[in-house]
Amino acid sequence: MNQTFTRLGVMLRHALHSKRKDATQHLKKLRTSKFIYTAILCCKVLVFGVLIQGISAQQLLAQTTQNVSLKGTVVDDADGRGIPGITISDSNRKVYGTTNENGAFSVTVPKGTVLNFSMIGYTTIVRTINESQTGLNIRIKESSSSLNEVVITTALGIKRSERALGYATTTLDSNAFTDAVASNWTDALSGKVAGLNLVRNGGPAGSNKIILRGENNLTGDNEALIVIDGVVASSSARRTSATGGGAYGTSGDIMPADFGSALNDLNPDDIESVTTLKGPAASALYGQRGANGAIVITTKSANKNRKRLGITFTSNTSWEEVGRGPDIQQEYGAGLDGVAYFSHNASADGASTRSTSASWGPSFAAGGMFFQYDPATKTQGTMRTPWVAYANPIDGFFKTGIETSNSVSLDGTVKNVGLRFSASHGNNEWIVPNTGLERTSVSLSANAKLTKKLNLVLKAAYNNRHSDNLPATGYGNQSLMYWFMFAQPNVNIDWYRDYWVPGQEQRKFVDITTSNPESPYAISYEYINAQRRNGVLGSLQATYNFTKELSLMVRSSIDYNHDTRETRRPYDASGLRYTQGSFREQNINSYEINADFLLRYNKSLTKDLQLTATAGGSQMRNRYHKAELRADGLAVPGIYRLDNNLNPLISVPDTARYNINSFYGVASLAYKNYLYLDLTARQDWNSTLASPLRTDNVGFFYPSASLSFIASDFWKLPKQISYLKLRGSIAQVGSGATTPYLTAYNYILAANGIYPGPAMTNPSVLPNLNLKPLSTITYEVGAELRLFKSRLNFDFAAYTGSTKNQILSRVIDRSSGYNIAVFNAGRVDNKGLEMSVNATLLQSKSFKWTMNGTFTANRNKVKELADSAVVLRSGPLSTSGGQIMAVVGGSLGDIYGFGLQRSPDGQIVFDATTGLARENASDLKYFGNAMPKFRFSFGTAVTVDKFTASVLFDAQFGGVGHSLTFTRMASLGKLKLTLPGRYNGLIGEGVVQNADGSYSPNTTVATDIEGYYDSLYGSRQLEGSIFRTDYLKFREANISYAFSKRLVSSLGLSKMTLGVYGRNLFIWSPWPAFDPEFGTLAGSDIVQGFETGQLPSTRTYGVRLVVGIN
Amino acid sequence: MKKIRNINRYTFLLAVGVSLASCKKDFQEVNTDPIGVNAVSADKLLAPALTNVLNANVIRNRNFNNELMQVTVDLGEAEGRIFRYDVRRNFADYTWNTWFVELTNFRDINTIASQEGSVNTSYQAISKIAEAWTFQLLTDTYGDVPYTQANQGKAGILEPVYDKQKDIYLSLLTKLEEANTLLTAGQAIVPSSDPVYQGDVTKWRRLGNSLYLRLLLRIAGKADVNAQVVAKMKEMIDTNPSKYPIMENNTHTAKILWNGTNSSTALYSSPYMISVRAVDFRGPGISEFFMNNLSTWADPRINQAYGRNNVNRWGIAPGPGGYVGVPSGYPIGGSPVKQAYFYSEGQSGSPLSLQTDPYTGIIMNVAEVDFILAEAASRGWINGTGEAYYYKGVADAINYWIPSLFTNGNDAAVRSYALAGDFDWDNTFPLDNATVGSSSKLQLIHLQKYYAMFLVDFQQWFEYRRTGHPFLPKGSGLTNGGRMPARLNYPTVSISTNATNYKNVVASQGPDDINTLVWWQRP
Repeated sequence: MNQTFTRLGVMLRHALHSKRKDATQHLKKLRTSKFIYTAILCCKVLVFGVLIQGISAQQLLAQTTQNVSLKGTVVDDADGRGIPGITISDSNRKVYGTTNENGAFSVTVPKGTVLNFSMIGYTTIVRTINESQTGLNIRIKESSSSLNEVVITTALGIKRSERALGYATTTLDSNAFTDAVASNWTDALSGKVAGLNLVRNGGPAGSNKIILRGENNLTGDNEALIVIDGVVASSSARRTSATGGGAYGTSGDIMPADFGSALNDLNPDDIESVTTLKGPAASALYGQRGANGAIVITTKSANKNRKRLGITFTSNTSWEEVGRGPDIQQEYGAGLDGVAYFSHNASADGASTRSTSASWGPSFAAGGMFFQYDPATKTQGTMRTPWVAYANPIDGFFKTGIETSNSVSLDGTVKNVGLRFSASHGNNEWIVPNTGLERTSVSLSANAKLTKKLNLVLKAAYNNRHSDNLPATGYGNQSLMYWFMFAQPNVNIDWYRDYWVPGQEQRKFVDITTSNPESPYAISYEYINAQRRNGVLGSLQATYNFTKELSLMVRSSIDYNHDTRETRRPYDASGLRYTQGSFREQNINSYEINADFLLRYNKSLTKDLQLTATAGGSQMRNRYHKAELRADGLAVPGIYRLDNNLNPLISVPDTARYNINSFYGVASLAYKNYLYLDLTARQDWNSTLASPLRTDNVGFFYPSASLSFIASDFWKLPKQISYLKLRGSIAQVGSGATTPYLTAYNYILAANGIYPGPAMTNPSVLPNLNLKPLSTITYEVGAELRLFKSRLNFDFAAYTGSTKNQILSRVIDRSSGYNIAVFNAGRVDNKGLEMSVNATLLQSKSFKWTMNGTFTANRNKVKELADSAVVLRSGPLSTSGGQIMAVVGGSLGDIYGFGLQRSPDGQIVFDATTGLARENASDLKYFGNAMPKFRFSFGTAVTVDKFTASVLFDAQFGGVGHSLTFTRMASLGKLKLTLPGRYNGLIGEGVVQNADGSYSPNTTVATDIEGYYDSLYGSRQLEGSIFRTDYLKFREANISYAFSKRLVSSLGLSKMTLGVYGRNLFIWSPWPAFDPEFGTLAGSDIVQGFETGQLPSTRTYGVRLVVGIN
Repeated sequence: MKKIRNINRYTFLLAVGVSLASCKKDFQEVNTDPIGVNAVSADKLLAPALTNVLNANVIRNRNFNNELMQVTVDLGEAEGRIFRYDVRRNFADYTWNTWFVELTNFRDINTIASQEGSVNTSYQAISKIAEAWTFQLLTDTYGDVPYTQANQGKAGILEPVYDKQKDIYLSLLTKLEEANTLLTAGQAIVPSSDPVYQGDVTKWRRLGNSLYLRLLLRIAGKADVNAQVVAKMKEMIDTNPSKYPIMENNTHTAKILWNGTNSSTALYSSPYMISVRAVDFRGPGISEFFMNNLSTWADPRINQAYGRNNVNRWGIAPGPGGYVGVPSGYPIGGSPVKQAYFYSEGQSGSPLSLQTDPYTGIIMNVAEVDFILAEAASRGWINGTGEAYYYKGVADAINYWIPSLFTNGNDAAVRSYALAGDFDWDNTFPLDNATVGSSSKLQLIHLQKYYAMFLVDFQQWFEYRRTGHPFLPKGSGLTNGGRMPARLNYPTVSISTNATNYKNVVASQGPDDINTLVWWQRP
């Protein structure tokens, strides 16, 4: 066996590295005719071949006659800084060494060797060495290649050469976030990272949930871990108030508003780079919370090489407006059953018809005159007035939002201390009147080399967010979108502006139509969700280098947020709970403290084999504490204070806490700068798995291995191939989730303690006393290929994995006595493909044309489950049977519900008497999956002299969703879709069932047109309101101009750029509401599948100015 | 040197060992919910559970029972039109979900009160009574339901099997028998834990036995249990009444008094304030059937003199045509003009309104017991003719709302009121006559019982399903073939989360729709 490998290795060496002429010719032949074959063979013998080759290289070395030694430094031509990691090799790609962290090198080579000093991103320097030298100073220039992401920050803040990584990562630099600035900077990740998916909730503070590589988990934690300068910022991700009701808020409780996560507050101008660690192999070192990948954000620090103070000022202004919306009809007004007249309250024309939200009333084209609402008297007008349609709610109510942000940064180095300071202020006035927010942030970064051996880094950021009002989301009396769905075309939206009944200000609202949906202006100005948040994100890191090989880093960090939220509801608040108003105040303190250490040992084992061993440990404490006081019922209307309570104050505390302790280690082996092996191991202990009775299964261990092979440095590949890297990894990750208290049965306070005693109740969520950690195992292979001097670059990744024991909550039959049960799901397999490409199509001195694109596909399959089917979530309309259900053989995210009755050949069955479509409300039908199957993006940029223009498109396909906005609006006759058949009836396209059970074409005229559309699109079945969530979005456009150096310096400046940009300019989609990319607030989560009164998504235009003052 | 290295090694190992041990330090404490508690006493669970069940009953009485049973007609555009027998599937969810979840608390009270150290026979009995009350509602509404395996999620049973209605009934009867025995001890309970009788366990005993009668009567028509049921009734009323005390007057009526304010969040706020918008409360019109009888009888309950500020005791607002109602089941598209309706909170002049009235939370009232006995006597199952029970029922029903209007059932005023209204007792009437419009003792009893059970969960509907009385006019706009729904379907979530047992129950009971008869309805 061993012999065979040795022989293979020797063959390989001979074939590829012999200096003999015939061998070279042989190699040429191989390249031309058998290249592919060889590649496959080489892959197979890769590991062994490489080892053997190491030995043979030493043998070769021994054969040379005269050696010369060489010492020196490689520095960056631009700033004179030493560059680590430069490869020193000869023309046969034999590697003699690399530069150390200061750029210094020391090699011994045969006399007369032609040495290459090379590194990706730099132009290779070639020197012929004929004598020993010391103090050689080699200046190396950055190559013009766009791929300069050589050193990237990986898990735990460890900086690694990109080529050494055996797993997929994507790094975006600051331009990705600042060229076309988004209100929430995470929006700018869209379309730029293969495998990344954002689940969005709308609104000015709208938060995003970042999901990497598809959701293999629906109800548990499935978000990527967010790390800002080594500080895990996930604790601040609790984004909603969840102060009372849910997004389907017809119970009348206070509806949730999205208060945004602290992540939104990061100033995009402070971002240096964002690295996405996609798979578990990449994030295994982050432990259980890295199981869903990680987003590693590095903020800017002082530019070490700048001798003078640098000041940069940026200013940004953008405008936003509703992008697209439902297709609203403007031809018929309020009324039921095709009624021919309208009357606001009873009149000479007949009984009142105003108390309806439906629009099946008289046609505007008929030009009638009716007794309508008179805004002057706020009741029925004394005269009949013309029956006309006013502006639809999209045009009539929403305004143009404006957002401004300004930031300034200073940086420089004073003695040994590098400092960067930045301050920014932003103000957003959203498209809904009286909503928006204000942000202020200050950040400081300091880097001090205290002694030769001790280095200190301090990063601190303070964020303040202030909002007088944020819009409540969802479907319910207090929500704006509820009004939107019910808005009548015959009502002028301006009539809503004066919403108090005269003489009853602060006590009673005018009802222009029904009393259900409140005036949108009343909601904006009286139903207040206010917020003040102060957050501190800080870390202090000390690195001590004991020797050249051994260093120790200790770090401690904190993410602390104090959030004060207020909800105010006026007297007569629509919805039933707050006829006497309400005032609620929440005080939320949350923090996460991390303390960790890393011991690094770096040693060259042999001349070719470099070992870096890292061992570390960390302790994490996460705490969340909410104190909420409620004055539901106010003594004096309009006074929002806790001491204005009519009833006893109610206290609703909430808390969550968990600890994770960990030890971990990495061994990285680098062989000759073309073969890299990483082995990691981590053990976590998570308190969420402990119960008051036991701690025996709180710990879990997981290893990973990854291999990177730079094929282009191993073989001499055709010159068109500039770089070829192959990588592979296996990783296992465990997780105990981050929701505490799921392991013990606890009675809870009944009705917030209003009963004497205070009385208690059994929980509605059934805990799991034997909760186990989940475990995911993933296999990944990938390749990175750069062609034509890195002008055409591909990155490819394929992965497959399986997750066992996911911690999920399932909806259970209430006859079990509980609503929801926490359980460990069986096994879910997940696989996917990711590809990205970027190309420089044309390049000359003053012209450059580039293109880039990504492609992602992801699938998951439920392999094992405790029961045949598990309901993970119920949709908002229980009449329609809508639910997300997991079944063995299906996928997570499968949507089921009641369908329409269909004949065997798939036609809709209509009722022979009424002509209405029939629903099948006894069998649940599968309608598709909430998660798209494919995503792709395409972008291109052109630079002409000082101008740069770029565009980005992205698309998703293969997912479906249920639209509540659509089903409601269609049933109420609000959509253009419901115009045919009014007055005359309509014959539905389909069949009727005959008495003998056979089917014949439908010929029955449906005269109940309201019933007809309700039967097709209403809430008795899900089918009529399921739509594909496919889209193609014109995501970004940007034009910027860099002023000429001469002009700039004549103004005393160092740089000046001006840009105009647009975001989300167009959406092409079959989605019937606003945005197919929707998420619905559910507790502190954002969920997919069921759109529940989404807020409009917006189109943004902006102007941006960047000025550098040296 | 070597020694030092060894020492270093040992120190290192020790350090690792110590830190590993501390890796789980405090975890038990950290993962213990500081707000929840892991054990409670029986009294802590009672009040909210009773209130929550009653809340659901009151709410669904209003928008389901009252629409079906022609108390009201919802002229609005709300989803489905129950009064047309157009019942959407999701109507099944709310009561199923509330009743079953609260049964966890009821059953837990028995468990806790049976544990060594915390034994309390009164709480055990109250638990059984509350369970019988709730399970009877469940099985009468849905038919076969999970019973034996229900509420055992904690023990790992997430998909309980459905029990047959007959078995459920027989088991509930046993529980009520046990409760009666347990309450003889008269062990004290915490008064504030009992919003119904404020700790008076003797009244709980009366409620238990009165429920016992309700259950017995409901299944008495089934041949296979009739003899057993009749014997039990006879024992309770004729042969051993002292062993089975029942409700005798309105102080025994089981109810939770609401706080009477327009608050929606205070302790014992009326469910009408918590869950119904004022505008919705006054939305439905009162039906012709319900309203016109009261007008014809000049019923004291709609007499302004017995109410407050010129508003009658039931807070009924006259329509344009006075105290008249609108026909239920009117033709589709032929919306009649709303006439009389129930006043709501917040209307000008602050009229008396049932929306804030403290008296609307009825679990079971004495008048219902009277009419149960009137029927049992008329059928000859117990002694007497039914007449005395009948008039006592009429008097008790009105006295609930207008205390002391009548001295008792023998009060001459009761008889003259019945005579004037032409619903006086007539011993010559046949027991029953199914022909619409005909006279019978059952029609007499059930028309009065219908008014006596105004606001009481689904009892009007259950009794109508059992007896066909009182006769309800049927409009041409009825759907479902004009058939009164016989049950509610099972909730959608049961289909998917309890699939196997759901299939089994459909196979044994019949299709899961509103026309499948439950056991006691089947001949």
